[in-house]
Amino acid sequence: MSGELDGLLTFFASHHAIRAEKVLAAAGLDVELVPGPKELSPNCGVAVRFRYEDREAAARTLAEASVKLDEVHPYRPATDAFAGGSRRRRRSGRQK
Amino acid sequence: MVTYFDHAATSWPKPPSVEQAVMAAFGESGGNPGRSGHRMSIAAARVVEDARDAVAEVLGAADPGSLVFTKNATEALNIAILGTVEPGDHVVTTSIEHNSVMRPLRFLQSRGVDLTVVPCAEDGTIDPTAVGEAFRPATTLLVTTHGSNVVGSVLPVAALAAIARGRGVAYVVDAAQTAGSMPLAVEDLGVDMLAFAGHKGLLGPTGTGGLFVRPGVLPLPLMRGGTGSRSDSEEQPGFLPDLYESGTLNVLGLGGLAAGARHLLDVGLERIASHERDLVARFRHGAAAIAGLILYGPRTLDDHCGVVSFNIDGLASSDVSTLLDREFGILSRPGLHCAPGAHRTIGTFPTGTVRFGFGFTNTATEIDGALLALTEIAAWARKRDVP
Repeated sequence: MSGELDGLLTFFASHHAIRAEKVLAAAGLDVELVPGPKELSPNCGVAVRFRYEDREAAARTLAEASVKLDEVHPYRPATDAFAGGSRRRRRSGRQK
Repeated sequence: MVTYFDHAATSWPKPPSVEQAVMAAFGESGGNPGRSGHRMSIAAARVVEDARDAVAEVLGAADPGSLVFTKNATEALNIAILGTVEPGDHVVTTSIEHNSVMRPLRFLQSRGVDLTVVPCAEDGTIDPTAVGEAFRPATTLLVTTHGSNVVGSVLPVAALAAIARGRGVAYVVDAAQTAGSMPLAVEDLGVDMLAFAGHKGLLGPTGTGGLFVRPGVLPLPLMRGGTGSRSDSEEQPGFLPDLYESGTLNVLGLGGLAAGARHLLDVGLERIASHERDLVARFRHGAAAIAGLILYGPRTLDDHCGVVSFNIDGLASSDVSTLLDREFGILSRPGLHCAPGAHRTIGTFPTGTVRFGFGFTNTATEIDGALLALTEIAAWARKRDVP
């Protein structure tokens, strides 16, 4: 449920984000790869949405897996509120 | 179904012949090119040389032997730039270059090379005389993009080449966005080196690219190693393409690149360029009518390749890109597009823009669909409460 994903992990490079999503999902955390919000990070590509309350576990899991983390943010994107008129498509990201 | 508007990053879908050619290179032509005289090695070498022939024809290079294959346009630009410039030299470039040009140049600057960055206008165009005026006695190299990967402006390469030639300055062109998307006639342009990506307009697989090197121009190679030629010598061969093609080439990728280039020749580069120009015109016309949409780039289509950039008032480019993908299946690229200088030039640093990169497979219907989607997103952005 994207509504509960109220945090964001940003990375220095997209391949770090891809690795992080894999590692965190395997550790049982609720995560989703999303386009990196430009107001939070100048890096090309993607970031990982997660439950902000999981931040310590997430940081620990990433450190154990040697995945470099840039920053941790509380984050509820503006786009969650988009009703899309008649469209109410399912999120295209990977759901856990 | 998705609407793929990210051809500027890599083209998709590739023609079926490209996939077939890649698969075919696993078969009888699965040997190592140029390393032996057996039939499979020879077949692999034919795959590589067929790619050289086809790409030379697309670029308008008279001699396929003047083309060097690399893994991408970035590697080609690094050869052209790092292999040419020495400490004490002065280099001229523009303010809309991709990091594949700017990062090697900034590195050289840190090693004692002088650099002048000539500002482009806010629409991404440039006055060639301003470039000429930046030249000094110590200027040895001019590097510019051909088509901007941010705003789609096409620089006057022939005019710049004439200026550079008149001053005895070598001219390197980054044609990552234009090779395969429009006729280039590289010989007539008068440039000394031209870097191309194999996986964008040329419709080949990722991992392919290369450099056109005018006869007589010999930058130092980035790498040295086995070439299958002059194997009795521990010195790097001094001739093209072996000087720059150390190590086993990406035969699978080049097989696909050959098929991509042949496809372009079958369709016709004029037709491709004209179709992409029509798509840009349709988009620009429709986008101008959307309240809250800010469109960047040149207004005249003669100065335009198939790239457009825009923003929607009140939304980050990444939010617009997310909505386009999630709600409408339209794939774009938000942000800085690895070209911070270009965004400083058009006034969108550091937030960036949403970029559409159109390709030959895109249709007018897809443009219209995107315009409707953007109208809806812009209307929503106007209405919503800003937190």
